[in-house]
Amino acid sequence: MAVKTLDNKRNRLLMATALFLGLGAVPFFAPPFYVVFLNDALIIACLSMSLNLLVGYTGLISFGHAAYFGLGAYACGLLLKSAGLPFGVSLVAAGAFGGLGAAVAGFFCVRLNRVYFSMLTLAFSLIFWAICFRWNDLTGGDQGLSGIPYPNLTWISQMIGRPDFSSAQSYYLVSLVVVAICIAAMWIIVSSPVGLMLRTIRENEQRSTFIGVETRRVKLAIFIVAGTIAGLAGGLFAVFNRGVYPDFMYWTKSAEILIMALFGGIGSFWGPAIGSLTLLLLHQETVALTEYWSFALGVILLVLTLRFPSGLWGLFERFTNTRRSK
Amino acid sequence: MDTTFMQLKRVQLLLGLLGTLAASIASAQEPIRVGFPMILSGAGGQFGAPILKGAQMYVDEINATGGVLGRKIELVPRDTKSRPDEAVRVARELVLRENVDFLVGTFTSGEGPAVSGIAKEAKKVFIAVAPKTDRLTAPDAIHPYVFRAAANTTTEGRAAATIVAKWNIKRLATIAPDFAYGRDATASFVAHIKKLRPDIEIVDQQWPKLNESDYTPFITAQLGKKPEAVFSVICCGNFDSFARQAGAQGYFKSIGNNFIGLGEAGSIEALRALGGEYPIGVYGNTYDAFYWKPKDSEVARLHAAFTKRLSTALKDDTPPSWAVQGYISMQFLVEGIKKANSIDSDKVSTALKGLEIVSPQGKITMRAKDQQATRGMLWGKATKRDGYAFPILDGVELIDPTGFMD
Amino acid sequence: MELPSLSAIGAQAVSGLTTAMLLFLVASGLSLIFGVLRLLNFAHGSFYMLGAYFAWQFNTWLQGSFWLSVLFAAIATGVLGALLERVLFRKFYDRPELMQLLFTYSIVLIVSDVVKYIWGTQQLGIRRPEMLSHSFKFGEIVLPSYNLVIIVISLAIAVGIWLLLQGTRLGKMVRAAAFDREMLSMLGVDVRMLYLLVFSAGCFLAGLAGALVAPMSAVVPGMDADIIISLFIIVVIGGLGSFWGTFLGSIIYGMVFSFGILFIPQFSLFAVALIMVVILIVKPEGLLGRENTR
Repeated sequence: MAVKTLDNKRNRLLMATALFLGLGAVPFFAPPFYVVFLNDALIIACLSMSLNLLVGYTGLISFGHAAYFGLGAYACGLLLKSAGLPFGVSLVAAGAFGGLGAAVAGFFCVRLNRVYFSMLTLAFSLIFWAICFRWNDLTGGDQGLSGIPYPNLTWISQMIGRPDFSSAQSYYLVSLVVVAICIAAMWIIVSSPVGLMLRTIRENEQRSTFIGVETRRVKLAIFIVAGTIAGLAGGLFAVFNRGVYPDFMYWTKSAEILIMALFGGIGSFWGPAIGSLTLLLLHQETVALTEYWSFALGVILLVLTLRFPSGLWGLFERFTNTRRSK
Repeated sequence: MDTTFMQLKRVQLLLGLLGTLAASIASAQEPIRVGFPMILSGAGGQFGAPILKGAQMYVDEINATGGVLGRKIELVPRDTKSRPDEAVRVARELVLRENVDFLVGTFTSGEGPAVSGIAKEAKKVFIAVAPKTDRLTAPDAIHPYVFRAAANTTTEGRAAATIVAKWNIKRLATIAPDFAYGRDATASFVAHIKKLRPDIEIVDQQWPKLNESDYTPFITAQLGKKPEAVFSVICCGNFDSFARQAGAQGYFKSIGNNFIGLGEAGSIEALRALGGEYPIGVYGNTYDAFYWKPKDSEVARLHAAFTKRLSTALKDDTPPSWAVQGYISMQFLVEGIKKANSIDSDKVSTALKGLEIVSPQGKITMRAKDQQATRGMLWGKATKRDGYAFPILDGVELIDPTGFMD
Repeated sequence: MELPSLSAIGAQAVSGLTTAMLLFLVASGLSLIFGVLRLLNFAHGSFYMLGAYFAWQFNTWLQGSFWLSVLFAAIATGVLGALLERVLFRKFYDRPELMQLLFTYSIVLIVSDVVKYIWGTQQLGIRRPEMLSHSFKFGEIVLPSYNLVIIVISLAIAVGIWLLLQGTRLGKMVRAAAFDREMLSMLGVDVRMLYLLVFSAGCFLAGLAGALVAPMSAVVPGMDADIIISLFIIVVIGGLGSFWGTFLGSIIYGMVFSFGILFIPQFSLFAVALIMVVILIVKPEGLLGRENTR
């Protein structure tokens, strides 16, 4: 048994490494459009995976996760554009701001249960949104911050021996590394004893208190971690999108991330990433075909909630399981 | 053996020639693709849809005459959902995947600068159709590829000030949506009116949020300050709700109809939607009005012909005011391509600077110094007139901004 | 700072009351549905929007017979709600909240595009009935008669629902359902029918509010998303599922919004969200709610 899990672990590590290398090879042969698309998907996947730490692992349905994404995006955008700080510093600050915002909100939110937790996360996200929306002098208000510069990434194109790489291509590699680090961190957390604690809280919070888990502290900690990663994703996205807008923090964005996570399946580690990729792809293709994109998404969601509550990943697992059992 | 080899070579040559020929024919026929990111859904769709129709009408007209440089024009529209990040996403998709040669479009002051960044990155000419924010072409944001066919907040606010300056009032209030366009237009107006009429006092300023549905508390708060006139930037489809609620509160009556509405408050769309409830006697502006009778006979002829074509194309006897913006923007692009004799964005950019077109509303110049069109707007006083199902702007005239753009 | 006059304060209070009463009409339906069915209905704003569009449609067909249009619109919304309840919503009563949120959000997305498909994106308007186009004046306070009618209708409905809940057998069943559903079905009550009725009534109220608001503001796509956050703030402040709590929440919301404009214009947006946060922290079950939330 022990050998088998070890094997499993090594297999997974191998697969993750292969995935990382495969994604890393993309800009070397794929047309720029796909590089840009994947860059988008990578960042959003990382964001929805961070939400899954709360929703899927701990059973905390946050309805305001976009707030921390937005805080990170504003922090990074402002430091880069207005303060002229280097990209690395701005990105770290993005994570810090996301985490700080999550610490403030989380301190209060984790005291509540179920729908009240959701409502309070929503309320906090509205407050953060209102601040960014109103603080014209700093954030540009509704117009947001546009024209955020790409960092100077020639050292990357030099290093990999492709001086012809555009900023967009080099930036893809930067995003990939940052996202990979975030995902690795999340993986370490969920497969550690902390991960087990999170699941116990999800299954039965009262019982976990009985067995000595300080549920509030654990919940707060995971809320901050999720906020930090969302902030980092926001920082990456600010530069990728070349601008930050208050929409990034609005409740509709929070709903969007939640949908992506659920679409992929919150019962698994990779599900939300699959969901983000699939929905972004679907969006990309349907928007070019029809103006009734939200109808299409609505129908997909409806079918999902009616028939496949465990998402794409659940479907995939059911499929592989039946095959195996045959 | 030798002969077969020669034959083979000849066939190859022939094939090659055919190939090149085919390719050159194809490229001659391959259309020039223009990406058109525009609001097509949500509340903003009511403006985006007619803009797209106006642009399409120009494209159809130019294609019917054989296109430009022997090539047809093809519009590739995309919905921006009035979100700047979505505008960036579709603009990138248009440039990188659809391989469009130019970008024309955007509506809000958030989308315009956002897409401008992508145009700069991709080195493709981008003509902004509707965003009025001064920031789009501000010195720190301007680059060779961004042009604006819309009016801007400076010119719109100053034009309003020239009208209000003639009013016999002292106590003035302002109301504008709390977003960039509303704030900038108000600031430009206030600065200009203080210059023209130092005796006028600003007694109140209200800033409801954009798409507010409940204006009553703002209206009562403003009336409490007893203004004699009001400057408004309630725009973007919000004028309807505002006017209904203000009318019910006796707002327009208590300021003696000394009200000037920017942000297309005088557009056919707004007039038609409010119908009998439109406040008679207030001033409003619009980009176009099918009933406008320009004084210049040549402009009158052009405008009448345009209105007729638009009515036919849209199957609408009282065609929307926004279509002309799509039309003029495409006209700038095509005439720029013609002048440059190339679809290379660098050359088109050079050609556009200082380019003068004869639009359906007369001559408009794309200024070289700030890449801003000398786009005026129509202003007039709402009046009931026989023969129309809704009020129209009386004595509507185009205020040419050339004199007060700098 | 120059203090506003007493009459200015009176005028603000009256406008706040109109806002509050209109929101109460919509929020009471949301609160009722949550209280009895335990369903957090994100699509409630969509029914409100549909009510407005239905009113416009009936008004066009009936050539300006306003009150009949309002009534038909509210009934049509209620019937549509009942149909959707039978086909879809009832499947989600016992599902986890997450699935409820997701499902109701999918309805929001679908309805918004269906509305766009049927009525287009241009704004539509209804004329206020001629007899209600004048206003009452009390010194400097102006109260348009139409606003007065809205206030009266809302108050009448508030009292009506309260009497229904307190005084009738149906009301008792509804209150019992909110308390303990298993018990109710054991007592031989047709719970499914009861749920259908409650859901449909909630939609009726939303539709009624939508129809009544049509002459005051434009009927446009996006009405649904604009109102839903206000509704959530109201029901949370008052207490999820609490009837008078919703009433109180509406009044607070209306007054904060209205006086915020007078005193703290830059922060009125922020103020309502802040109230929601403070209430959730201090008394998560809401001002008049009674439920275990921790």
